[in-house]
Amino acid sequence: MSVYDGFRDDLLATVPSLRAFAVSLSKNADRADDLVQETLVKAWDKQKSFQPGTNLKAWLFTILRNEFYSQMRKRKREVEDSDGAITGRLSVHPAQQGAIDLKDFRKALELLPEDQREAIVLIGASGFSYEEAAEICGCAIGTIKSRVSRARSRLQDILGITGENDFGPDAISAQITSGAFSG
Amino acid sequence: MSYEKPTSRRVAGRRGSGTDPLGANSEIGRKLRQYYDDLVKEEIPDRFSDLLSQLEMQEQAESAEKED
Repeated sequence: MSVYDGFRDDLLATVPSLRAFAVSLSKNADRADDLVQETLVKAWDKQKSFQPGTNLKAWLFTILRNEFYSQMRKRKREVEDSDGAITGRLSVHPAQQGAIDLKDFRKALELLPEDQREAIVLIGASGFSYEEAAEICGCAIGTIKSRVSRARSRLQDILGITGENDFGPDAISAQITSGAFSG
Repeated sequence: MSYEKPTSRRVAGRRGSGTDPLGANSEIGRKLRQYYDDLVKEEIPDRFSDLLSQLEMQEQAESAEKED
């Protein structure tokens, strides 16, 4: 029997978020679906280790993330990863007055190293706290914080946004720009 | 920007204005959520529901065998 009634339905309800996280990790929809499938099989097999009442979504994200990195290690032996070489030279056009195209944003996000990309997605989009994200990634909360911050600056650089939340000369122009939207 | 619940003001205040790097005033934060929400809204292929049904049936079959 399942670990609790409705375990299957709860797994299924998490699939949309799992897919979104899998796509942001793997940058590939087909691979993402394979990751989600593998995650569901693993979750089913080890469901007895899940404690009902604790965060199922975080538990599943952890399984998916582990699966992604173990697959990546296998692949790396086959094909040398060239992401690092590409990161320096970008084909993304700087944004005009804060109007970033979603496609450009996705391209920029894909240029980030995995650890920074997963951190900013978990915190900025998946709705996890820094504590939960640290648990999912198996690292310290401070590590997540610094990865999110590096990811954000890197995205700002790539997309040509000047530090909108930083104090300093740019803070004034950021206020003017955001003022145009808040009226 | 006025759809937020009253409590969110308190949460924003706790984080400190301008220090939440991915908050509502951040272009990066907004785009990130838009990117992610688009993915979440995608239609889910049947294979996942089918897979779970299969796993469930398999498990039931195995536990039935044990009882014999």
